[in-house]
Amino acid sequence: MVNPRDRLRPAGRRNPVEAIAQQVTERVVDLLVSALDVNELAARIDLNALLDRVDLNTVLKQVDLNTLLDQVDVNAVLARVDLKPLLDRVDVNDLVSQIDMDALVERTDLGAVIARSSGGMGTEALDAVRSQAVGLDQFVDRWVQRLLRRKRPTPPAPSALLPAQAEP
Amino acid sequence: MTVQPAVVSYQGHYAGSVSRFTAYAIDLVVSSAVFSLALAAISYGVHIVTGHNVNWNRSNIVVAVLFVLWQFVYFGYSWAVSGRTFGMAALGIRVVGTDGSVLEPRRGVVRALVFPLSFLLFGLGFLGILVQREHRALHDLIAGSAVIYSWDARAARLRFLARQADLAPPP
Repeated sequence: MVNPRDRLRPAGRRNPVEAIAQQVTERVVDLLVSALDVNELAARIDLNALLDRVDLNTVLKQVDLNTLLDQVDVNAVLARVDLKPLLDRVDVNDLVSQIDMDALVERTDLGAVIARSSGGMGTEALDAVRSQAVGLDQFVDRWVQRLLRRKRPTPPAPSALLPAQAEP
Repeated sequence: MTVQPAVVSYQGHYAGSVSRFTAYAIDLVVSSAVFSLALAAISYGVHIVTGHNVNWNRSNIVVAVLFVLWQFVYFGYSWAVSGRTFGMAALGIRVVGTDGSVLEPRRGVVRALVFPLSFLLFGLGFLGILVQREHRALHDLIAGSAVIYSWDARAARLRFLARQADLAPPP
């Protein structure tokens, strides 16, 4: 046996035979390691069998997540995240269509902002006249359809202005 | 004065008879007023330059021809350039191609040229606005055009809600 502490001892006080043995051992270990194919060795190991023997729950119970998270620099992580591809995958139109704008305007200060920034009495009157005209249009149209006893629904809008039909 | 939520869903739909006739009535008033003002301006100019008074007689054939020409310019130019007249802009409607595309200037001019045809036979040409499936009058069928709602009803609805929210007492 070679005592590793012997290296720390001055060369003058070391046994010459031990020194030779030390050198031979180091050389043999170097040769052995260089001759060893680590990939071959790893291929022979059955990792599944090894992992089956590991109780991950026990391991995880021993992990202190708070300590781990304290060591994580969230800003550095976020700086490395490329948000553009992520945002490209978000369908903003779908997201916006799910917003109830009526409720949003009624419940937030957004209503006051819009009211102060857009239109005056003229715009208000014009909106009302247009709205009333549309209502009367629909009223007249319903009666005409009834008088003509039309069963097939009439096209509501020109083809290019109709919303795209969903693919089957 | 309310803006009902239902009107938002009619954006881009074929415009109905009330909107179209109201728009035409506004156009008739506006174009006649502009024509009268123009005649008054000409009379004033002639009086300043020559000292003579010019009285335009409505039954005068020259005035009638000028009025018809002015009507053609008023409607034809408006439809060819922007697809809508002053009255149509006020009512938020617009002339488009049959497929809903922007009206070609050529079609706008044709529409103005054949527009008087709809007045023939006691205005039977206008009956299409009421009974035709796409609310197209005779001049629409000839010119290959249609009239749709083009005003931003969604923005109008938001403005209405905003006013309501602004007027409501704080909780």
